Order: sequence, then C-alpha cells, then structure tokens
Amino acid sequence: MLKNYLLRRVNTMAIFMIALFVFVAGAMGAYAASTSNFQLTINPGTLAVDIVNGSFTTVASPSVVFSAATFSFSCSSTTGTLGTSSEQIYVTNPDAADAGWVVSIAGSATTAFWNSAGTDMDFNDATSSGCGDGADTDTLKGQLTVNPSGGTIAVGNCASCSTTSVTAGSSSAFVEGTTDSITVLTGASGSDDIGDWTLQGVALTQTIPAEQPAASDYNIDMVLSIVAS
Amino acid sequence: MASQFFAYFNYRSIKFIVLAVLMLGVFTPPVFAIEYGGIGGRPAFPREDNPRTESIFVHTVEKGQVQEDGVRVVNNTEETKTIMIYGVDSVTSTDGAFSCAQRADPQTGVGTWIELEKNEVVLEPFTNEVVLFNINVPDNVDVGEHNGCIVMQEKKSNHSEEKSGIQLSFRTGLRVALLVPGDIIRELELESFSVTPRDTGDGSFFLQPKVQNTGNVSIDADVRVVTKSMFGTVHEEHGGQFPVLRGELSTWNFVLNKPFWGGWYTAQPIISYDASNNASVGVDTGGQLTVIKGEPVKFFSPPTLFGLIIEIGLLVVTILILFMIWISYKRRRWMRKEWIEYEVQDGDDIKQIAERFDISWKLLVKANKLKPPYALGKGTKITVPPKEDSNKQ
Repeated sequence: MLKNYLLRRVNTMAIFMIALFVFVAGAMGAYAASTSNFQLTINPGTLAVDIVNGSFTTVASPSVVFSAATFSFSCSSTTGTLGTSSEQIYVTNPDAADAGWVVSIAGSATTAFWNSAGTDMDFNDATSSGCGDGADTDTLKGQLTVNPSGGTIAVGNCASCSTTSVTAGSSSAFVEGTTDSITVLTGASGSDDIGDWTLQGVALTQTIPAEQPAASDYNIDMVLSIVAS
Repeated sequence: MASQFFAYFNYRSIKFIVLAVLMLGVFTPPVFAIEYGGIGGRPAFPREDNPRTESIFVHTVEKGQVQEDGVRVVNNTEETKTIMIYGVDSVTSTDGAFSCAQRADPQTGVGTWIELEKNEVVLEPFTNEVVLFNINVPDNVDVGEHNGCIVMQEKKSNHSEEKSGIQLSFRTGLRVALLVPGDIIRELELESFSVTPRDTGDGSFFLQPKVQNTGNVSIDADVRVVTKSMFGTVHEEHGGQFPVLRGELSTWNFVLNKPFWGGWYTAQPIISYDASNNASVGVDTGGQLTVIKGEPVKFFSPPTLFGLIIEIGLLVVTILILFMIWISYKRRRWMRKEWIEYEVQDGDDIKQIAERFDISWKLLVKANKLKPPYALGKGTKITVPPKEDSNKQ
C-alpha cells in the first residue's frame, strides 16, 4: 500500500517538476529576450546638511534655545548649544564633493537681527564686544559668538568611515561686513568621499546689551550652509 | 511516517507557493533605489578632463564671454519639495573657508553674472531636474579666479514669530570657479603656526597653521602637520588637501589628542602645492610641488592617567633595580676588602655563625659558595664580617 502510494506520489512530483522547469525556463527565456534582466536605479546623491535626532531622522523646524537671561543694567550674556544628542548637525556626502566641503553658519542676511515684539537686538555688532552700538547699519547692540572648536565630531551611519580630515572651525564672533559667515565644520579632500558625520556641542554665546528689555520672543533666522569647494 | 509527512504538507499548497514565488521572481522587474536624504544638487555636465567638475563648476572664460552650464537639482526626500535655485557671490568664512553669500545680501560679483533658466523647481520625491544657466562674464573683470555659488534651498513658509531662539534653514551650495586668463600668479606663504591647548579640559591641542594666498587664483594646497615625539619618531600626522582662496588667509584647527605617554613633542607644518601656471582648480600638472616647511614648534604634554601610572611603575622598578645593583656592588666590595677568615669550631653550624656575626645565613652561604646541606666540619675556614662580629665572639 505504502509502496504504491509513494510510486504514485513520485510520479506526480516528477511530472510537476518537469512542467515547472519547462514553464520557468520558457518564461525566463521569453522575458530575457524582450527585456533586460534587472533594473537598478541609483538616485544621484547630494551633499547635504541637516539637523537630525539620535535616530538620524530630520528634526522638523529645528531651533536653538538659549539659557534664560535676567534683565540687567549691565551688559551680560546668554549661552546655547547648536548640536545636541537629540538635535545634532548631520552632514552627508554621497560622493558629491570629493575635493572637500565646508559647513558654515550665517544670519539670513548681514542685516538680520534678533527680532522681538519688545525691542530688537543685534547679532553682529562688535562694538564693545556687542555691548555697544557701532559702525554697522542698524542702531542695535549685541553680538553672537560661535565656538565649534569644542564640539564633538563623530561618524554617522557609515560603518567604514572615519573623522580623518574633518575638522571643526575656530571660535569666532559675527561682525557685520567682516565676519558674516562662521565655519562650523570642514571636510578636506582627504575625508571620506562617501560618508556622513555628526557634530554636537557647538557653543553659542550672545551678548545682551545693558538694559535690554525682557521678552520671551527673541528669535533670529540663521542659515546652515554646506558648500562643495 | 511518509503518510504523516505528506499529510502535513498539502501538495497543492506547496505547488502554489513555489509557483507564486517563481512568478514573482521572474515577472516582477527587480527595481531598487539607493537613496540619500536631503535636497541639493550637483553639476549636470561634468567634464572628463577635470574630475573636480563632478562636484563644482569650473570654467575658463574670457572677458565678455558667456559660459553655458547646468545644475541637476535633486530631491532625495520622501516629500514633494519646492526648491529655490539662485546664484550668489562667494564669501570667505572664518578660517579662510569657502562659503556662499546670503540671497538677501547685495551681490556684486559672480552672483550677478549667473542667469538661471528658472529660479524654482517643484520636485516629486526621489526625482531630479536639470536647470540650465548662463554665466555672463563682464568685460571689465580682473585677470585671475572669480568665485561664486549656485545654491539650492528648500522654499518654506515663514516660521512662526512666536518661537524664540535661532530658527535654522539649510541649503547646499556648489562653488562656481571662473578663471579669466591672463597673468596668473600662484603663490602661498606660511603666515604662522602655533600649538595651543584646547579649552575642552581633555589635554588635547590645536595645531593651527595659517597660510596666505598671495596670488590671484585659488590653490589646492596639501596642508600637513607632522608631530614627532622627543625620540624623533612620528607620533601623529594631520592634514589634507584644502583650497586656499585667492587673496585669503586660511587657518586650520587640527586636533591633537593628548599623547598617551606625554613628554616633549615637536610639530612642524608642511605645505605643498603645484605652483605651475598650468595648474588650476582640479588640474594638477604632475610637476614638482613647491614645498614650504615651517619652523617646528616644541611643546610639552603631560601623559594620560593610565600612561602616568605605567610610567611611575616603570620608574619605581628602574629605581629598585638600580638600588639592587648598587647594593650588590657595595656588598661585594665589602666582602672582598673587609671580611676576615674564620675557622669553624666544634658545634658550629651555619645559622649559629651567621647569627654570631649578625648577617643572614644566606649571605654567609653565598659569600663562601657553600652548597646544601651547608654542613661545616671543624677546622673549615670560611670568611665572615670583621670587627663587630669579633666583639660578639
């Protein structure tokens, strides 16, 4: 009974396998004759800078909040950090800038300022280190200093990449017409052609002029640029 | 058993699954997309004679001439994006780095020469589009290199004014390097070099070479800093190839981590570049490079904690070894010059004699080259320490 059962099954399987082989071979031949075997699309990559969270997901509307300052009759300052574990600066170079790239930060215009419903404040007036109003075109006081040099550079998702030839910029303060752009991160030609990097801990210090009115809505538009050089 | 097996697997089901898998494998075109996030762009028409044109726009253009080119604007995000494209002047960022002026700022150079076919594109996810442009070089420009940028930036609605702090926007710029031919000068000078401790508290240093471009074109310079230990071995090498822009002072901040062993180190900047007038952006002549070597700077670094522990351990061991050698030498000398002969008496044994002369029995054995079981017969002559021991007798 078993023998008979097996024989019957083997026959069925053999027929099935032969039919399947003929079918597949025919189909593949027909398919190969009319089309190419595979399609592979590689979208052109682009050099980009972004702010991402710890999972490398873009942070919508990223912002840098400064420590709360108290109204003062003397010039003071407040600090913030650009690039934290939850909002880190993220650079991707998918073979788009082999000779190097530069990430820099600048105001949306050299004439930009800290906007507030109360009283505005400058970000690039060097007079008395931001405590006075000077030679620039506005009548506002205040100066923003950016110090990327103490920041931590790390490799992003790329397992085979390194931070070799990727360097942070020096500490600098915005000065209208003189220092309108501050270098945050530089990748030399020796850096990985295909790679991604993160930067955390760029220290920001804003000078607050004496008697600057208290307000909770000081904001300024700034632009983080990455440029293939 | 076999019947159980076949009962478990329904052959009709197996046939169906196998067929379905094969059908999927054969008849579905295998299309894969490798993607990187972000929006940006790259040159649409790179030239084979200059690999640099894959990243930036490089052209040699006579005064008054027009150069045509194109930029491939890319949207590699999962959303449809409206992307602004605009030409701006270049600006020098801090440390002499290349950057692009803001669109809101007045343009006076290359930014005004760029005429784009369109200033805005709407791109579906993972698509790209080529935007053509002309560069109209004026008649009255200087000989040499002129730089600008073509920038891609997402168009966003105005942010809420109520949010405080810095509101960030992002953009990608591509350098536009235009060479107006004529009397080209390619020259770099090493302005200064310094080694300064970083204020991060981790004992690391900044190695900061500053290089001035005194010519009228940018130069791709190989900037290196070689740090050597006090024994002359190379401890670490920093650097890479960086563009030094026309007329600019470039500064680099190479970070030297705190050396493990510490000690005195020297760091020396070495700048090399192709000074030939036939070289240009992305084009090396292959000739001999001009090399500028700066004065080595000597500096001290304390070791790391672990390095310090190992060093102290080695020092203690060395001192102990030296002390032992000294003691051994002194003792041999004492034995050779001052020890006297002693005749073993009846009932003496090695321990008794050693105690009598106030030395260890092992020293006595060693001095007299005795062998186990150290039995001394009456009348045997050995050497023992002098005087004090005699008094004890």
